[in-house]
Amino acid sequence: MNLIAIKYMKNLSMLALLFCISFGALAQSADISPQRKQAIDSLALEKVRDLSKYISIIGDKETAYSEANRVMDRAEELFAPDSEMGVSSLSTEEITYYKVREYFQRLMALNYDKVKIDWYDIHYISDLEQQPDGKYVGVVTVYQRFEGTSEDGLTYKDTTKKDITIYVEKKKTQIAGRTIEFWDVMLGDIRVTETSA
Amino acid sequence: MIRLRLFVIVFLLTMPSILPAQIRQGGGSGMDETELYASTKQVNQFFRRFNGEEDQKGKRYYQNDRAYRDVSLRKNYITILFDDDNSGIPNDRKKAFINDVTDKRNPKYLNFHDDGWFAEVSAVFTRSGQEENISLFFKIQPQGQGFEWVLDKATSMQYQQYFGKDSSDQKSFLHPMSHELDFMNLHKSFRNQKGVDFTSTEFKPDYLSIFLYELGNKTIAFKTVKNLKFHFFQCEGWYFQISEYNRPGYNSGWLISDLAPIKNEDISALKAFIYDQQ
Repeated sequence: MNLIAIKYMKNLSMLALLFCISFGALAQSADISPQRKQAIDSLALEKVRDLSKYISIIGDKETAYSEANRVMDRAEELFAPDSEMGVSSLSTEEITYYKVREYFQRLMALNYDKVKIDWYDIHYISDLEQQPDGKYVGVVTVYQRFEGTSEDGLTYKDTTKKDITIYVEKKKTQIAGRTIEFWDVMLGDIRVTETSA
Repeated sequence: MIRLRLFVIVFLLTMPSILPAQIRQGGGSGMDETELYASTKQVNQFFRRFNGEEDQKGKRYYQNDRAYRDVSLRKNYITILFDDDNSGIPNDRKKAFINDVTDKRNPKYLNFHDDGWFAEVSAVFTRSGQEENISLFFKIQPQGQGFEWVLDKATSMQYQQYFGKDSSDQKSFLHPMSHELDFMNLHKSFRNQKGVDFTSTEFKPDYLSIFLYELGNKTIAFKTVKNLKFHFFQCEGWYFQISEYNRPGYNSGWLISDLAPIKNEDISALKAFIYDQQ
């Protein structure tokens, strides 16, 4: 997938965002209604799907270095500042912490001849809980299948569970002189666990 | 026991049949996804399943939905929320628990924002280059416009070793006329004996303050989290614990790892035991 395709995905994301704007204009209660929660879930899932696409492109050995770097820039824009990836494997209980950019760079530099990254269709979205600062926070769980083949034909496979923090915030923007409130979603820390599935 | 196992299998086998075809197979990997579906993937999902507040696909039920907190849905869910490999919880205890929390006259639900549950984090810190395990206990509290997890207790073998108090008649003491000598005997006492032996009978160590002091003056530094579990006292008459099981099969994710009936008057003793064990 190239950047044109990514831009197409961005447009979808904007649609979801506008969808949320309409809900934002309709309901102004402090609590998030089930309808608005669904709209926010859709937007969060769009962002997670964007991230999944970016990870697949960054990990793909066919992706040119310059293209991978551009995609890393786009991927980083999905995240709140200072977000980290906490990674553990089946062989160790310990969590290793990486900055998001560092995680992408390590993914790009993996020493395989061929890399295949698939995402399971399954996802689970938590409730949204309000933080002390008024923002809402939730967690989206997705599963990724990785397959790396080295030059000598040896294949490494794993399935990882990714628990992705989402921050949901009500923001304001000016459109044609009117102030419109909308809900925006940013990704945060991600816990990556190797599963035995 | 056989009947219970059979019931769990039947309930789980119905899960794949209600899933849309496109989610039964992984994205091109050819792997069956129903195991991932059955897994209790988040603590949030444990709450929802326990309360009967979501369908088998993870879609949230709200108060206006007919199936919201439905008794038979809850019974089915709670049955699969136990760690099947744990023979330490007898089946009759599980059954009594399920019947009690789903009793129509007095159903018991879990509430994320209420007291009566807390997290135990087994963390690794370094002290002078050496790794050390410290258990941290967190609870949820209201703050500002929302909620936050706050540190409530801490414990470590490193700390505990200094607080084993001698309660025998032969224990060290500061004699009752020490004050006339400007407590000059402290010189010998603190050099040769454990300080805790000179504390009052009411003294209780506060490991959290020691932990915060050591973290603040950089005597210890955080390294990683090794393990996490949650303790629940929200269902009156019961204590249970949940842990995460990362394994293949239909019995994985956040599951009940310990269950015991408990009287109200014994709760503080059990909590003290949990906070002090390492």
